[in-house]
Amino acid sequence: MAKKTAFQSRMKHEKTLNTLALIAVILASLLVMLPIWWIFRSSLMTNAQLFAWPPSFFPKDWLFSNYTKALKYFPFLQYLKNTMTIIIPSVLGGTITATMGGYAFARLRFRGKKFLFSLCVGSMLLPNMVTLIPLYIMWTKGFHLANTYWPLILPYFCGGGAFNIFLIRQFISTIPRELDEAATIDGAGYFRILTNIIVPSIKPAIIVVALLLFIQIWNDLLQQIIYINTGDKFTIAIGLSQFKGSLKQEWAYIMCATCMSFAPGIIFYLIGQKYFVEGIVLTGMKN
Amino acid sequence: MEIDVRKKKADHRLLDGERKTAYLCLIPSCIGLIFLTYVPLITVLILSFFNWKGVGTLQWVGLTNYVRLFTKDPYFIDAIKVTVYFSVLAVFGSILYSFAIALLLNQKIPARGFFRAIFYLPYVLPAMAVYLGWSWLYESNWGLFNYILSFLGIGKVKFIGSPTWVVPSLALIAVWLSGNLIVIFLAGLQNVPRVYHEAAEMDGASGWQRFRYITIPCMTPIIFYNLLMSLITNMQVVTPALALTQGGPGNSSRFISYVMYTYAFKDAKLSYACAISFIFFLIIAVFTIILFVTSGRWVFYQGGND
Repeated sequence: MAKKTAFQSRMKHEKTLNTLALIAVILASLLVMLPIWWIFRSSLMTNAQLFAWPPSFFPKDWLFSNYTKALKYFPFLQYLKNTMTIIIPSVLGGTITATMGGYAFARLRFRGKKFLFSLCVGSMLLPNMVTLIPLYIMWTKGFHLANTYWPLILPYFCGGGAFNIFLIRQFISTIPRELDEAATIDGAGYFRILTNIIVPSIKPAIIVVALLLFIQIWNDLLQQIIYINTGDKFTIAIGLSQFKGSLKQEWAYIMCATCMSFAPGIIFYLIGQKYFVEGIVLTGMKN
Repeated sequence: MEIDVRKKKADHRLLDGERKTAYLCLIPSCIGLIFLTYVPLITVLILSFFNWKGVGTLQWVGLTNYVRLFTKDPYFIDAIKVTVYFSVLAVFGSILYSFAIALLLNQKIPARGFFRAIFYLPYVLPAMAVYLGWSWLYESNWGLFNYILSFLGIGKVKFIGSPTWVVPSLALIAVWLSGNLIVIFLAGLQNVPRVYHEAAEMDGASGWQRFRYITIPCMTPIIFYNLLMSLITNMQVVTPALALTQGGPGNSSRFISYVMYTYAFKDAKLSYACAISFIFFLIIAVFTIILFVTSGRWVFYQGGND
């Protein structure tokens, strides 16, 4: 009897703990979302409402017309097109070459594997910032590719970054080798194994790599600024950095531009989310 | 005998195919590693011994660039301090925040996937837009944060316009952006063997004791990994200076990367900027080595894994 009540009290204890955790999570997520809401709500207001004290939590008239006005100063679609011109080939190149590299490290035997792999892991610890200037010299003075998208795209066709190769390798090593062996017996070559067996079974990891590359390029204001000089080639990131300077106090329009720039990332994330979490969870465990 | 030889030959051919595929698959990565990583690293070091402004001939100057950096440069020493200050705040803030959230999400709560998505969301937003958006939240008269402070009876703070608050304010944005750490922590927490907890519970360990002596030790490899990656990312901080502060007010947000950027691309002092790059590389290497050396004392690897 006494045992049972002890058990019950423990269950009760656990239940209150879980409720407290839920309340804390809800509060924390509201706090995390608050900046995004505040930016969005500001994009729908007039200046008078923006500069009112105390500020109101909801916009009064939901002025979606702000967006059409902001588009006059901020050619979002042009910038989006330019950004996509960089992102689509880069993400493709990065995921394909990272998958190839990861496959070689995870499954194939060859001379110099250990050495190459440690070079690869070592470069993960090397900050990109350090190699910025030599690369700039190489692309602009060696290949004369200043003010083109090539210096921003081509590096992604060279392995897509050590971290992503590593991630794919870790993921492939969780897949049972029997699958490859069965295919080998059926006469499939190593390349066929990669395309027909490995790639379909590591879909989540490939999507993680694609999303990580997407975010990385999206955020890479510095490299875009140093390689791109003319307005017609501006990306969203450069466009935003110029926009603030030209519209000092028009906060509503600036917030419109901000919200528009949020959208593609959110959409891509929502589409890939199911695979994405699965992929991070599976690869995160192996870290 | 003959069968043996033939088998060996077949093995050899198989291995050859394997080797060929491996090298083919690794061609892109090798080009990247050689020409985009290691050769540039050596080039940075070599160029830093010269005087070169992007045109004309290279002029050997030995260690002059380095001497100037540490004795005469108006920005460099302060930039190191600011960068380290920012990194410490951002790294510890992000680790504490994301570990706490991951612990909460690891409880039995409904709609866990939904909440995880919410905390991850800031990470997928483009950095430039994030800084622009937050600059309005930090606005010194009508911004959200001053509104919140007014509830607490605190007067207006200039945040990114104030030399004292600019770095903590930017670090807060970095913490907000660290949703990726939460996902990695959470995956780690779900991987802590349940048996340990059950055994400890049998022995009458309290919740706190279980957390302190089971969860934390099991999580140390992941804490280590997150610390390392977060450190390398945050030491390289440059976007907020490029996008918002231009290093100001004064020099209070002039990060090392930003100093390097202005010397290289505004003043065309390419070789001088290379010296900064190389010192920067050494600074990050020192931090990384310290982290690796001390990790022996606090990181526990469970035996038998892998």
